Order: sequence, then C-alpha cells, then structure tokens
Amino acid sequence: MSAYDLDRTLAALADPYRRRVVDLLRERPHRAGELAEATQIAFPLMSRHLKTLRESGVVEEDRDPFDSRVRIYRLRPEPMADLKAWLEETEALWGRQLVALKAHLQKGRK
Amino acid sequence: MGAAVGGVEGAFAEGAEVRLGDVGAPVTSKVFIALRVPADPMRTFEVFTQEIALWWQPSGLFRVGATGDGRLAFEPGVGGRLFTTFDDGSTYEIGRVSVWEPGQRLVFAWRQPSFSAEQSTEVEVCFEAVGEETRVSVEHRAWDTIPRKHAARHGFPEHVTLQRVADWWRGALEGLRERIGGL
Repeated sequence: MSAYDLDRTLAALADPYRRRVVDLLRERPHRAGELAEATQIAFPLMSRHLKTLRESGVVEEDRDPFDSRVRIYRLRPEPMADLKAWLEETEALWGRQLVALKAHLQKGRK
Repeated sequence: MGAAVGGVEGAFAEGAEVRLGDVGAPVTSKVFIALRVPADPMRTFEVFTQEIALWWQPSGLFRVGATGDGRLAFEPGVGGRLFTTFDDGSTYEIGRVSVWEPGQRLVFAWRQPSFSAEQSTEVEVCFEAVGEETRVSVEHRAWDTIPRKHAARHGFPEHVTLQRVADWWRGALEGLRERIGGL
C-alpha cells in the first residue's frame, strides 16, 4: 500500500454521505439514482460525491448491461483493504506502546 | 482483528471497532485499545506525557529512511506540541494537544509524514482509576466524529466531522498564536 493511496482513501471517506455510499456499496453495486434515494440527497450532489469517490479509486462505474444510459457503481476492494491494513497497524502500534508504558511504570516501582 | 497485546501477561486489549468486513455495520476509522497499568491516573498521565521518550518504542513512522522515531516529547497544555527530535537535531511535529486534563484525558492530533497537508488523525487517551491502578485507553480515529459528550463539552455540533474539528482547532490555535505574539 502506498501512503498516497491511503491518504486519498481517508480524504474520500472524510464525509458522512460518502461513507454512507460506501456502506451501501458494500452490500451490492447500486445505480446512482438508488444511492441518491437511499441517502436522500439531491442527484447533482450525489453525482459530485460519486465523482470524488471515483477519482480517489474507492468506487468504479460500469454501464448497466440492459440500459447503457444507466451507470452502476461498485466498490473497488483495494482501498478498503488499505484502510483495514492501516487500522490494523495503528491498533498494533498502540498495543505495543501501551505495553511499553506499562513495563516502564513497573520498572519505576521497584 | 485480534487483540494487539495478546500473550502479554496482565495485559488486556479491547477489540478495535473495525468492522470493514461485515456488511451492515458502518465503515469506521476508529481503533480502540486499553490496558491496565500499575500506577494512579495522575502518575500515569505524567509518565505518558513527560516521560514518553523513555517508554516509546521505535515504530519507524516519523521519518522515512531513518531508523527509530527520534525522541518524542509533549509540551504541556492545550496548544502544546507533540514532536520528535532526531539525532541530527532536526524535529518533526506529530500534532498539537487539544485537550490536556492531567490524570483524566489527553487529546492530540496525529500526522505521519506521509499524510497530505489537509489530512490529520486524532488520538484520545483516557485515564481511569481501577483500584490502585489505572486503565489507560487509546482511541485513534481518522474521521469518526468525536464522542457526543465531548462534543457537547466543547460546543461542537454533534454531527461535525473530525476534519472540521481539526480545522477548528487549527484556526483557534493560529488565533491564539497571533494573540500571544508568534510562539
């Protein structure tokens, strides 16, 4: 994972509506219209959020095989994996540091 | 995700609030971990902040291509820096303290050198007495909103995002710096 990619993912998800979209796409791919409806935000605004998510590589779009005017959005797995890896590293980091803090306090008592 | 401190005697870790794999739970950026240490909350806070250089384990996070993290130090109080000093004398600011409540709570910003200019994360450390010991908990979040009770305490709307909070603090601190003459 590159730091740049993780950074883009974090920036893309630093918005509650975009996170809601990601949550919906984790269930299954959705049409833009469905996403706008489910999140109750205006279609033009949804289009902007989808553009941000697309540019950051979090989602990708396809054309509906039955209706080429309709776009279907799906989650790309890599950014989510990067995010999970960052969370795991961060958890491991603080685990190590707290254990070290504890050891330091134990040493100080003797 | 397993407990990061598993296998260490006397240590306990609480599961991180990470459910990226489970459909249905909202995507989160929050990591939570806690450990009981043998000192009272005041002493633990003091050691956490003033002796961090003595207990911090090198993580390789703060300087690309160099070994170690340098010598970490907190400047006490709200607006104080958490920074690290390398052997060659150069420094790197990890973040600024936004909450400084000795013996209770510490909140500071956390930026790794790989982060972009706007990107920041936040670390909240709580110190709670458990008998004669202290439960130290660390919550590290990249965008999850700050807890509602804290939001209320600081007068933030509860839906405000972490990034906005970070911006707010940056603004507030810049204002403060200007008032006290460019510290």
